[in-house]
Amino acid sequence: MNTARPTLAARQQQLVRALMAHPGSDEAVVSAAALLALGVAHPQSERGLQAYRANGHALAERTLQAAYPVVGQLVGEATLHAMARALWHAHPPTRGDLAHWGQALPAWIAQNPALAALPYLADVARAEWALHEAASAPDQPTDLASITRLVTEDPSLLALRLAPGTQLLGSRYPVASILGAHLDGMPTLAEAGERLRAGAGETVLVWRQGFQPRQAATSPGTVAMLGSTLAGGSVLDALDAASAPAPGPVFDLGTWLQSAIAAGWVIGVHPLPHLQPAVSP
Amino acid sequence: MRLPADFPAPPPVGIGWRHAHYQQVLQERPPLDFLEVHSENFFAPGGASRAVLEAGRAHCDISLHGVGLSLGAAQGLDPWHLAQLKQLVCQIEPVRVSDHAAFARALLGGQTVHAADLLPLPFTHAALRVLIDNVQQAQDALQRPLAIENLSACFQWRDAEMDEPTFLNQLATRSGCQLLVDVNNVFVNARNAQYRGENADPVAAAQRWIDQIHPAHVAELHLAGHADLGDIVIDDHGSRVSEPVWALYAHAQRRFANAPTLIEWDTGVPDLAVLLDEARLARLRACESLTPQSAAPLTPAVTA
Repeated sequence: MNTARPTLAARQQQLVRALMAHPGSDEAVVSAAALLALGVAHPQSERGLQAYRANGHALAERTLQAAYPVVGQLVGEATLHAMARALWHAHPPTRGDLAHWGQALPAWIAQNPALAALPYLADVARAEWALHEAASAPDQPTDLASITRLVTEDPSLLALRLAPGTQLLGSRYPVASILGAHLDGMPTLAEAGERLRAGAGETVLVWRQGFQPRQAATSPGTVAMLGSTLAGGSVLDALDAASAPAPGPVFDLGTWLQSAIAAGWVIGVHPLPHLQPAVSP
Repeated sequence: MRLPADFPAPPPVGIGWRHAHYQQVLQERPPLDFLEVHSENFFAPGGASRAVLEAGRAHCDISLHGVGLSLGAAQGLDPWHLAQLKQLVCQIEPVRVSDHAAFARALLGGQTVHAADLLPLPFTHAALRVLIDNVQQAQDALQRPLAIENLSACFQWRDAEMDEPTFLNQLATRSGCQLLVDVNNVFVNARNAQYRGENADPVAAAQRWIDQIHPAHVAELHLAGHADLGDIVIDDHGSRVSEPVWALYAHAQRRFANAPTLIEWDTGVPDLAVLLDEARLARLRACESLTPQSAAPLTPAVTA
């Protein structure tokens, strides 16, 4: 019989394993029994383990509710909480800041047959995670005066400075409309439903205006301009991308810039770092 | 209520500043000596939360209280977490930086998992060595001492090699850290020990615990409510401070010489006025504890 005491690492692994095992699974039963053998022999030890599990579940529910309010509205609070508890065990936190936990939800939804009746739900979740990230993205100074550099400098050496948290997400579903209908009533739920039934896809633009995460459906020209910029392209690259689709109206950079600045998508212009003259040692 | 002229000055008293009260505290600037926030809630490099904290810092001292550094983990510290904390400390310049004598990180299936809880350490020499090493690593990075808080533990490991006060005194002596004594946690642990048949009087047991802590190590006291479920007590920070905990607080203030005190409330956060009333009571109880025993108590009865 091995009477050696377990190492600290082994004890800690055992406790975390017992907490993170899927409730009702064989692993949960085995890991709890192994843990309780390491604790003082009293029924309170099992009650304590239950308390830690309950606390983890409550944290998971609150965290997903905060990050995915529209998913919560679409599936209902009880279902979202069940999803949160399942995700907690399938993809436990890896950081000590729970704002980073929950990113796996969209992929988890996409692979969950029980949610197949809501085929757009995974894309809605992806867009909500982008909004969640935008809320805490690093602040960026707005420098609209720098826009005038486009008049005097080579646009192949300049790039647009985009708002904090800017992301583009393409979807086969009208995700921007679904989000807007649930977040601020624009469009109405009826209109969003109509677009869904019509099979309309949308590309969602996510950005932060001040401290407010925003989202909107975007035009192909905006997708091209912002997509090229997000990929590291210059203003000239972005303009080329926006002008590329042959049929359709001619892309007007000046008009687009006015609307992009007004919406807060573009907050300035900066030189492309990799094209700066080399500094001699 | 007017305090007698010979009353000692009350200790610095603060409250846990939570999301529900961000704007109200900024607008009303209640008479508090410090505001405590959970460090991890302000790790984000931009956005509204960091701006709120900076606004609060402009008119009140901030205490950064961590819940996720996992200082007792055999797995070691998360360099990312420590870097975020360092950046926040440099920006906010808090009056105190604290975390817990706990762990949350462990290697599971080849991946380091963070259990997002304050999990107990065994009171063994091996755990003490790990805790000291990790605390020293954090202190070296932050260039300041940490204050380390005692837990309320829902699970007790077998094979303890020392008691908790000895463990904490050793930690402070050998790492140079300070101690944050959570008076409610001390009582919760003593009450749970009573449920296990290990003591007959949890207040007396908790007083003995406090009497073992070396006063020179103590930087702050915490007060909060708890939930007694009949077979286990949970430190849920969801109610007013209970009368036994107030009594222990008076005992702690006599021993720890008017230590700064925090009112914590994290579950079902009430109106700000309730927290401010708890802060007022903390000042009164501390003053009472430091006056001659013959002085009549000034504290009105506390209702839940």
